Amino acid sequence: MSQSKGGRGGAASKGKKGGKPGGEEKREAALQAVLIADDFQTRFLPFSLDKPRPLANGSALPQCLLPLANTPLIEYTLEFLAMNDVKEVFIYCGAHYEQIERYIQNSRWLPIAQSSPFSVLEFIRVADARSEGDFLRDLDGRGIIGGDFLLVHGDLISNLSLEGALAAHRARREANRDSCMTMVLREAGAAEHHTKARTKAPIFIVDPRKNRCLHYEEINPFHADRYVDLDPTILEHAEAEARTDLVDAQIDICTPDVLALWSESFDYELPRANFLHGVLKDWELNGKMIHTDIVAEGYSARATNLQMYDAISHDVLGGWAYPFTPDCNLLKGQTYHLRNNNVYQEDDVFVEDDAEAIDAALGRDTHVGSKSIIQNSIIGRNCKIGSNVRIVDSFIWDDVEIDDGAVIEHAIIADTTRVGKGAAVREGSLVSFGVRVGENSDIGASTVLSLLSHNRSPLESQPKVVGTQGKGAIFQYPEEDEAVAEELERLENSLIYNLDQFDIDSSSVSSLGDDDFSDDDSEAASATPSQPTVRSRLSSFASDDSGAPNFSSFHADAVHGLLEVLRGSVGDFDSEKLEFTSLRLANNASDVAMRKAVATAFVRRAVELMNAESSGLDAVKAAKEALTSRAGASSFVADVGVGGDSVSEQLEFALAVQRACVSSTKVIEAAKAGNLLAAMLQQMYDLDVLEEDGLLAWWEDARGKEGEVMPAVRAKCQPLIEWLENAEEESDEDDEDSD
Amino acid sequence: MATQKGGYTPSLEKFLDSLKSRPVQASVELLISLLKRRQIKGSEACATATAHILLQVVARDKWTNVDQLLGRIQLIGRKLVAAQPHELAIGNIVRRVLGLIRDEASEERNDATTDSPRPASPSVPALGHPSSPPKPVRPPTLTLIGSFARTQSMFNLLSDPNVFPPSGSNPSTPGQVSGASTPILNPQATNVSALRSEVIDGIQEIMDEIKMVDEQVQTYADIFIHPGDYILVYSPSRTVQKFLIRAASKRKFTVFLVVDPSSATSSEAQYASLLKSMASSGSSVITVLNAGLMAYMSRVDKVILGARAITAQGGVIVDSGAAAIARAARERRRTVIVLGGVYKLSPESKLLSESQVEWGDPSKYVSFADGSLVSHVRVKNAVSEFLPADQVDTYITNLGAHAQENLHTIIADHYKEEDINFDLSGKAQR
Repeated sequence: MSQSKGGRGGAASKGKKGGKPGGEEKREAALQAVLIADDFQTRFLPFSLDKPRPLANGSALPQCLLPLANTPLIEYTLEFLAMNDVKEVFIYCGAHYEQIERYIQNSRWLPIAQSSPFSVLEFIRVADARSEGDFLRDLDGRGIIGGDFLLVHGDLISNLSLEGALAAHRARREANRDSCMTMVLREAGAAEHHTKARTKAPIFIVDPRKNRCLHYEEINPFHADRYVDLDPTILEHAEAEARTDLVDAQIDICTPDVLALWSESFDYELPRANFLHGVLKDWELNGKMIHTDIVAEGYSARATNLQMYDAISHDVLGGWAYPFTPDCNLLKGQTYHLRNNNVYQEDDVFVEDDAEAIDAALGRDTHVGSKSIIQNSIIGRNCKIGSNVRIVDSFIWDDVEIDDGAVIEHAIIADTTRVGKGAAVREGSLVSFGVRVGENSDIGASTVLSLLSHNRSPLESQPKVVGTQGKGAIFQYPEEDEAVAEELERLENSLIYNLDQFDIDSSSVSSLGDDDFSDDDSEAASATPSQPTVRSRLSSFASDDSGAPNFSSFHADAVHGLLEVLRGSVGDFDSEKLEFTSLRLANNASDVAMRKAVATAFVRRAVELMNAESSGLDAVKAAKEALTSRAGASSFVADVGVGGDSVSEQLEFALAVQRACVSSTKVIEAAKAGNLLAAMLQQMYDLDVLEEDGLLAWWEDARGKEGEVMPAVRAKCQPLIEWLENAEEESDEDDEDSD
Repeated sequence: MATQKGGYTPSLEKFLDSLKSRPVQASVELLISLLKRRQIKGSEACATATAHILLQVVARDKWTNVDQLLGRIQLIGRKLVAAQPHELAIGNIVRRVLGLIRDEASEERNDATTDSPRPASPSVPALGHPSSPPKPVRPPTLTLIGSFARTQSMFNLLSDPNVFPPSGSNPSTPGQVSGASTPILNPQATNVSALRSEVIDGIQEIMDEIKMVDEQVQTYADIFIHPGDYILVYSPSRTVQKFLIRAASKRKFTVFLVVDPSSATSSEAQYASLLKSMASSGSSVITVLNAGLMAYMSRVDKVILGARAITAQGGVIVDSGAAAIARAARERRRTVIVLGGVYKLSPESKLLSESQVEWGDPSKYVSFADGSLVSHVRVKNAVSEFLPADQVDTYITNLGAHAQENLHTIIADHYKEEDINFDLSGKAQR
């Protein structure tokens, strides 16, 4: 940190030279910014997976390094900060720390490299961060923020001048210490707009006279009714506007109070859905006010998902983000010039005379063959495009070969891929790094091709899809536990915003119906659907705290609490039930998360018993011990874990137990885990926690057979199921007999 | 306390303020990003910033001989031009400074050679050596080094170590300068510092020239504007406004003030001072929206436009919208007068007219909030336009009024041939 202090001192003294005294606060000279380079989302799958380059040992391509109009996203963000005369930048990274840092080290932004407008540029890595909230809580602890600072994300593209917003923010803060944050929002009209976020549309309730934000909600298309619950106190303000016409690029001007608020609420994860919503809701408690600065000029947007990526790319090509057009040549070595037909072309690009390019950007050393048509597309460097190729509305990154006669419509083709002769890549398709599409193959609409699966293991090529000479397979997105979450996820992951593929009416009503928060009317109904999405994505199903950075706090806390009780060290199950329920309410946890927590806790207890050095129990005894040694344990499982008598609930719980056992294979070998699963299920059956129907349904459920470990663990239950089936037959027979 | 604090947005003023407190290289990079982000824009601002940065380079960079300095300026010039290729003024200033350095260097040499024991032969420009400054030619001992022959005098050897191949980069080693060990103590140092101050003075003159342009141009006002004239101006720049005000102090005439409809709301405030001083001196101003333009053209005597840049062939880069007015004036055979400082006159010969048009932010015409237009219609907003030479009658610079044919003479007066041919916008060394 000494380095940063030196830098700050320097900046402060420079500020003094600039000589702007006045009633302002002490360290006003250097504007600080916090750039969050990792937002824990996986919206850019499969591109955010490995970049299979033999030389670079990169593990993943972070979102903020994805090329937008052939320039990495973070360049625009840093340029925006420099444009607003930010002097000190703190970049927070999570998992992709190395690549981002390597990128910045080689860029012109490093303060050592004279060219940098920043006096301090520092990386902060929080290894165990699970959300943006953890970053900001970490920042609060560091004490490096002196005054007002900007909070932005690494995928921001904006040409706004914040001068007015900053001045207004200061004035408000002078007037009232409690105005702690100003959000800079861009108007985008009430009508449909491609740059507006559509999957999670923000709603701001604003007092237009004071520009104060009163309430925040997010709605998504799976909201059947699309209404928002308002606190009646909001209506006590003289005026309130509900704004859904805003592009929220999450440019926040914050005071250090904001960090304190984050620290107070340890469970906030997202700056909008959790923090903003929560702080506004608890206004009477914390007394903090958040203001908006709604601008009608300039451009600002965040490339949070592929649809936004698509929209922003076209905005950049269309000049809306001026001066950040391709011919601004932000990166050293770029040589874009605007030619006829709105084609941005770098040096050494060769386009045959009879090829046609309209509204496009072409990177260096790219060759376009004769009679090819390129429309509304961005093509990277060193691409070979054959003749008679048609490329429309697409994004083609570097070193791609597209052979004669191929057709590419509204797709993203990543680095070093090859599209064979006469092949077609249809709308909404994503072709990830290194894939080869064989001759004459037709990649249907919204197909996702990759060489790697979502957990980075190589995928077997599927000749049916990519042709016999092809390489690559259809990419499967990681599973989501909830229907709503999964559909939202699918919608967010796709390049084209299209609701047709979703059965909105039937699915949304039912899934919202069993959303666990519908009974709590003080909570905003609309916040719930978004939260489980996040949570279930974050909580990868691993059972040991140490190795699982992506654990949601609810899960960790709940499992921990349960384990304590199971070990017999504290409390009993009656009080634990209360505690568990309150924890669940506090976190807005879904049924899925709860089942997961209960199952995990019991399985872990059993594993503990099996592994205990002195008394290594076998699986059956361990399961029995875990489920019966404490009074009330089995009823707790039945009430809280399973939560009902219906077959589907039992199925889900059995599945959760199976998953818990699967993840326990990190600690014990797979065979033992299988034994344990069988024993647990048997025990639960004996205790009437699970019933025959539930277990049999579980056995039939396809989700239990996915992956490599799941079936292995499951296999051990074969005898149990056979026994159950026999028992059923017997009982049937008995029935018959008794008739 | 929300009053003006100077704000956070960088600007030309802040850039100039911070120049001294910052290393030269950092300033260069800062200027490049400011130009790229269009936070310094307009030919005057760009020219001023360029002149200042080159002054810093000359004054504060370490250089030991002329070629080194020239190379440095060329390198920086290329970078600046690449950062904002649409502002020709940047390249012009770079070329002016290069020419200045060459001039001063050759003068220095002449002075120095007259001091030397043998009287110097009259200096002849070193034709055919595009990269070498004109230098006095002595009864020559021609040596062929690398690909080009150079004249070598004792003085040249000392002052210009780059004449040697890289191995002999230390010219003061007597062994390498055949028989040239001289009694002059450290001639380079005195030479360099003298040259440095000369060049600095020269650059300061250029800066003064840029500042003085408006005043000098307006002295020609009463020659061109006659009593009772009907003058049409389009979104007048400061130069044009001052020109009109000056004329109004002596004459009574009528001005048609054509305003771009998209900026009509702000025009009242923008031109308030113009309107006020015109009114006080008895001339009248009629504000016209762009659309009704043609109807007025028959009444107009002269059209006065401010130039963003003037090319050697007489083409003019003007604010977008002005080209249509010039065209209309041409149809009606009205006089079109273009105002602009000499620093806007670009010697660049290989200009493509369409590549000089800069395209800006379409939100001037279509609100970004109009979603359907934004996603389905390609809106283009030209920041500048190219006016072909045949649509301009007279150019008024700070040096006077010129016809198109005279522009070459002015260029020849202000730029050195080797600098004109020097390809600033080349793709080398970005």
